[in-house]
Amino acid sequence: MSEKHKILIVDDNEANRELLIDMLEDDFDVYQCADGKEAIAVISNQGSSFSLVLLDIFMPEVDGFQVLKVMNKLRIIEDLPVIMISSESSPESMEHAYRLGATDYIPRPFNMMIVRRRVINTIMLYSKQKKLIETVEEQVEEKEKNSEMLINILSHIVEFRNGESGLHVLHVRRITEILLDCLTQKTDKYALTKSTKAMIANASALHDIGKISIPDSILNKPGRLTDEEYAIMKTHSAAGGDLVNQLPIYKDEPLVRSVFEICRWHHERFDGRGYPDGLKGDEIPISAQVVAVADVYDALTSERCYKKAFTHEKAVEMILNNECGVFNPMLMECLVDSAEMIKSELSKDMIEELSKSESRLIAQEILENKNISRSDLLSQSLKYEREKNEFYNVYGSDLIFEYITKTDMLIFSDKSAELLGVEKTIMSPASNTKLLDAMGIETHKKLEDEIYKTTAEATDGQCDLQSGNKFWRIIFRTLWSDDSLTGTVGIIRLIDSEIAEV
Amino acid sequence: MNIQECYAEMGADYSDVLARMMKEERVKKFALRFLDDPSFELLKTSLEAKNYDEAFRAAHTIKGVSQNLSFTALYKSSHDLCEALRGGKALEDVSLYDNVVRDYEMTVAALKKVDE
Repeated sequence: MSEKHKILIVDDNEANRELLIDMLEDDFDVYQCADGKEAIAVISNQGSSFSLVLLDIFMPEVDGFQVLKVMNKLRIIEDLPVIMISSESSPESMEHAYRLGATDYIPRPFNMMIVRRRVINTIMLYSKQKKLIETVEEQVEEKEKNSEMLINILSHIVEFRNGESGLHVLHVRRITEILLDCLTQKTDKYALTKSTKAMIANASALHDIGKISIPDSILNKPGRLTDEEYAIMKTHSAAGGDLVNQLPIYKDEPLVRSVFEICRWHHERFDGRGYPDGLKGDEIPISAQVVAVADVYDALTSERCYKKAFTHEKAVEMILNNECGVFNPMLMECLVDSAEMIKSELSKDMIEELSKSESRLIAQEILENKNISRSDLLSQSLKYEREKNEFYNVYGSDLIFEYITKTDMLIFSDKSAELLGVEKTIMSPASNTKLLDAMGIETHKKLEDEIYKTTAEATDGQCDLQSGNKFWRIIFRTLWSDDSLTGTVGIIRLIDSEIAEV
Repeated sequence: MNIQECYAEMGADYSDVLARMMKEERVKKFALRFLDDPSFELLKTSLEAKNYDEAFRAAHTIKGVSQNLSFTALYKSSHDLCEALRGGKALEDVSLYDNVVRDYEMTVAALKKVDE
């Protein structure tokens, strides 16, 4: 620990505080509070600067439990560990403190060395966790940023052809986010998690990609469209959906499903009078319902070649009066509730906006779900399993063995263990006498040499072995990851049958 | 009298406190700090005023401090008093308090004999 961590000691008894200070001040920057009230003030104002709190239970007026309760309310307890120190050793008090989120409970009389150690361990644990969260956050942010960038480029192309600035996409996205947040406060009917909301916002940028199928003459016609032209224009939503559905890959990815829903159905209306499918009510996916409101609002408040821009107030009024079709009443409530926010948000310079907090929340969600699915580690082990299975598919999987370099462990299938008369799992096979006896030291040496000859490019080899009066052949493949040998898989065969096959 | 002899005189466990606090000077320093501890005064006045919540906290503090310092006798009697007062209950068995007074005075008397 290079920089001294700050610790807060809360105890109404001065001697108790001094004793703790005496043993901790060499390693930590120690602060003290003489009662619960003072502690709450310090923690709520500068809690994040502390690394740990040592908390007494019985104090006049505000006791330790109440301090913990406040820390829960302020959600500080998640980031700031609390160790209780008390002569109260009843299981009820301990249970109570743990339930309120205390990390540890040290009963009196305590041993100074143990208190010091527990303090250090708790601080280390929390800083490691903080680091992990930060790393995941960074990665999520990076990934989100990349896909957001690509989506924005793509949608910008559509808009560019449309003679629009590209702001429309950003506006629709922001309004979609605001409406979704408001919606989740009102109802959990649509099961919108933070990551789903972020995904819908991302997908919203592509709502008009179907417009690439609309001829320039119609798309950029100055003045109003004829009925016939309008009918063609209206095909853009179905066309967008088809475009997405015809993707040869990624079709089933949630993001792509969401893009599909939004493209195809962002002109549907709640009363069934929209297009292309005339869906009604919640037959229309919520993603498309929200984007539809956002799309209409931004179209109204923007200047187009055939109309002037309406004011924010006028646009909201027109939407609420169903002048642009009927929307979900709950979304209309959201529009009213967040009208001021939408107005102020859209007047900001939006291009620079990439909300960092969003990534943090998603990172937390991922950590909570323990769903860190695409780590390098996992893809490496998947690659390993795939190659192993490929090998077994070619050579059969009866008399097989597998050697894992990292753990120095050799694993035989039931039959191959039986054949050699050895255990199924052997640690440190190079020094296992039973195995060496079964194989013969010479054969083992030969096999080792053959394995060393392989490379990441030339992975396969073989080696013959005599057991009693039977001749066997070992065929093996070495498995690699980034140029280092991670394991060897192989099969054992009777040579007679091998020769017969050849 | 040194601090170890003082512990012997009050029948307290010196080896235990030394094992936990690790240094003789530290034991001495905090044992003598007990002479300034206001908890006993607070216990007395709270009981007189029949403020049993406050009395419980004071007894609890005496229990904690004496436990820390391995003042065995005082720990035991303050522990018993503390349990009797828990939850703001009125003190029925006055002998529990008398025991604390006896052990407190004995502890303080021994501490006062320690050379500065």
